Amino acid sequence: MSSTIDERQITVEPSERALSERRGPGGRLYHGETAIDFYGRRWWGLAMSALLLVVTVLSLIFNGLNLGIDFEGGVAWEVPSAEVTEDEARAILRDNGVDDAGAKVQSLSSPETGPRLRLQVGDQPQEVVVAVQQGLATAAGVDISEVTSNSVSSSWGRSITEKAVRALVIFLVLVMLFISWRFEWRMALASIAAMVHDVVITVGVYSLLGFEVTPATVVAFLTILGFSLYDTIVVFDKVRENTVKFSSARAPYADTINVSMNQVLMRTLNTSLAAVLPVLSLLIIGSGILGAVALREFALALLVGLITGSYSSIFIAAPLLAMLHEREPKYRSLRGSHATGRELERLVLGGSPGGHRHESARTRRVDADAPVGTVVAAPPASPQSVLTHAPRPRKKKRR
Amino acid sequence: MRRKLLFSLVAILIIAYGGLLAALITSSEPTLGLDLQGGISVTQQPIGDYDPVALDLAVDRIRDRVDSLGVSEPEIIRQGDAIVVNLPGVENQQEAIELVQVTGQVYLRPVMQCINEGVEEEPHDEAEEPHDEEEPHDTTAPASTAGGTSVPGDSAPDSTMTKSTAPDDTTAVIDTTPASDSTEGASGSGAQPPAGLRAPAAPSTTTASSTTSPATEPPTTAPATTASATGDTTATTVAPGTTIDPATVPPEPAPTETSVPVSDPNIEQILPLQGGGLCQVGPAGGKGDVFKNDANAGIIQADWGVTVGLRDGGAGLDVWNQLASQCFNGEPSCPSRRLAIELDGLIVSAPSVRQPSFTGEVQITGDFSEGDAKDLARVLRSGSLPLRMQTQSVQTVSPTLGSDSLRAAVISGVIGVLLVLIFMLFYYRMLALIIFVGVTVSSALLYGLVTLLSETSGLTLSLAGIAGVIVSVGVTVDSYVVFFERLKDEVRSGRTMRNSAQRGFAGAWRTILMADLVSLIGATVLWYLTVGSVRNFAFFLGLSTLIDLVIAYMFTRPAVLLLARTKFMARRRVMGIEAVQAAADSWTGTGPRPSTAGGMA
Repeated sequence: MSSTIDERQITVEPSERALSERRGPGGRLYHGETAIDFYGRRWWGLAMSALLLVVTVLSLIFNGLNLGIDFEGGVAWEVPSAEVTEDEARAILRDNGVDDAGAKVQSLSSPETGPRLRLQVGDQPQEVVVAVQQGLATAAGVDISEVTSNSVSSSWGRSITEKAVRALVIFLVLVMLFISWRFEWRMALASIAAMVHDVVITVGVYSLLGFEVTPATVVAFLTILGFSLYDTIVVFDKVRENTVKFSSARAPYADTINVSMNQVLMRTLNTSLAAVLPVLSLLIIGSGILGAVALREFALALLVGLITGSYSSIFIAAPLLAMLHEREPKYRSLRGSHATGRELERLVLGGSPGGHRHESARTRRVDADAPVGTVVAAPPASPQSVLTHAPRPRKKKRR
Repeated sequence: MRRKLLFSLVAILIIAYGGLLAALITSSEPTLGLDLQGGISVTQQPIGDYDPVALDLAVDRIRDRVDSLGVSEPEIIRQGDAIVVNLPGVENQQEAIELVQVTGQVYLRPVMQCINEGVEEEPHDEAEEPHDEEEPHDTTAPASTAGGTSVPGDSAPDSTMTKSTAPDDTTAVIDTTPASDSTEGASGSGAQPPAGLRAPAAPSTTTASSTTSPATEPPTTAPATTASATGDTTATTVAPGTTIDPATVPPEPAPTETSVPVSDPNIEQILPLQGGGLCQVGPAGGKGDVFKNDANAGIIQADWGVTVGLRDGGAGLDVWNQLASQCFNGEPSCPSRRLAIELDGLIVSAPSVRQPSFTGEVQITGDFSEGDAKDLARVLRSGSLPLRMQTQSVQTVSPTLGSDSLRAAVISGVIGVLLVLIFMLFYYRMLALIIFVGVTVSSALLYGLVTLLSETSGLTLSLAGIAGVIVSVGVTVDSYVVFFERLKDEVRSGRTMRNSAQRGFAGAWRTILMADLVSLIGATVLWYLTVGSVRNFAFFLGLSTLIDLVIAYMFTRPAVLLLARTKFMARRRVMGIEAVQAAADSWTGTGPRPSTAGGMA
């Protein structure tokens, strides 16, 4: 790879000031003039993701997921715990014939509701649920309505989980079909891979931090899934557009990808920021300052998901797409000769690949002959080397 | 072109702000979901075989009960075969469970007597009613719990009724609770105009031993109520346990204190009659499963009626005939000669029995309207294969947690959106103004729609829904970003502002449409296939995605296109791309950038 980069750099006309010298990195980003070789650095992103995935899998194996009662079934009570100790609570469970060995007892606290004790056990008949609720209320010296109880039968929990999984599978199949129809199957594959990557990493965060998976969490996962797909589609739409534009020239697919990535980079960053800001506000202001704990885990899952969603559409989906395409005979021979540096810059700014091939060949020849330092103005080689769509001359009269 | 754009712009502004204004003027607000309001959610699911009709009936019955209890804005949703009942503001869990515990069981119970049948329709009936009513009082000697042993004297119909509904302390068979409720039922029914339609709730039962032409006299309205007095005394003294056929009486959980008419088939009870009125009924003599699952409404002798088959053998025909002969003969257990068909504490119909024994088919005729007959057929069908509901989940949400969450979600959401707008202003300068207005237009549209939907179709806004909306801010803003980035690209390649705006939108619209369609697919699949909060989330995601599409096409497009025609926008400096333009200009002369050079030449 490095050899190609060197080769390209030789072809650069020395007199021409590079764009990079005219603006700082921020300015170039702002004006959409970046020329980052995403394709050449694809292994960085893939390796990073692989590492995260390994961590996730390890965590899932050793930590598991803390599934809430909505998925496993069971009963949970919450009681203001000023008066009730854990032992007392366990005793109440035993008195009502509930095996307290498997009970999860947690202390919760939030600024508004004060300290609370949460008891969670497996499936129980309704009478037992009420009896325990009464017992806890008596022990805590509060009205029974202050003790909340939630119960979900395990069969219901299972069916909820099954429904969610089935919905997910159908969703994936439909989206695959849709993308294959509107774009192509490789894009479908790449975007689904990126999406799965995002969800898995978010699940990994849940597993690592030991957060409980509730229906709200599932909502968060689904949001991530939707956002990740959305983001990837926007990127791929640009790729498709450039593929059409580049199709007349024998340019490596990596060029298409690189150019597209650079062209949508600013948009991706903007969009991500626009999506992350409200979530960040939800996390910091909503659950941090205002203390709505119910929002915290939800917002955290979203935050992680949105960030990985934007990351994966550029660093996972696009490279995967490029790699899938390079297996095609059309692109195979061109593999490893993609444009970088100045060439890429020119392409990003709207240059056409056909012209660039001819030009660089010509320039190389001229370079060999002419003394170094001469300005070589390359003549317009073909209609394709100029704008693909020339601006229409202004009409004199308004329509 | 220009006029079209203006029209679209004005139309969307009027729709969005008009909707918002209408919502504010009528001071209607979106209904808050359980997790934001606090309350109890109970999910039930049928187990085993059941008639699909039964599920609809169960939902109707739950709705009736919840309404009669006065729970504000209850939410009763069918999700697949599960019934989810959300009761905001209810704190007593046991009460909530009983409220929604419908059995779907149809009971056949001999009628002791009925009062106030179809009160509203025929006032002269009402005049007669108090008369009927005194008799049960004297005879059953209801030492009501409150009033001690004193026998309630004659008084206005209303007050006698109230007392008569709390009877029988002595025999201790009638719970006070259903009684107190039946008052409610009666007074409630008084307010319902359509109740009168059912007033002649005394159709006649006849057989048609396969041929449908039995001895039916034209049904007399409200018969037999007066004649019940003598029989009644004996009836109450009969111990509740001595039902006609104990084998058919199913074990039922002990009645508990609620203000809902809980049906207990083992005892004598006073239950509301559909269409108004109350009936005192004896212990159930049989269940809905004596009938075949073939009840059908049709024209019988020029009137609407219901025909239903009887099951063969001991569980069907025999049970029915035993009941029928009791009632036909006016035996003490069935003095009124009427047989009540009861579903979950509501007497759907109480026909008189015209024949002591039946062979294969029963016809129920009377002064039915088509709808009445079909309703009755529905009840009979569902009763023949009753629903066994199992409570699958009971969840309590404390209201303090709910309101705090709501406040926090709203405040942080607004701050988040403001931050996004500030960022956009920094990045797109004047163009950001369009985003500003656009965001307010889509918020107004969303608020109006959500309010409208929660008024009309019982949509509730839950925490998951709010989350969906907040997240959709990102997607909405993205539509602008995609468009404006394209616009910049076009301007950069040397086009005029006006031209760029048009081409930019064409390209951006394709992208937006594609990406939003994927979101819509996701939202639809989720909405159809999931339950609970995920479903709510899916709805809001779908709704805000649709709004995004509408706003992009009807607001952003005309706004930008019209602005692009003005001289102000032609200066380009206003949209944060002036430097780009300068750069492009500076290239034109120097040559080394042939791509743009060609364009600018």
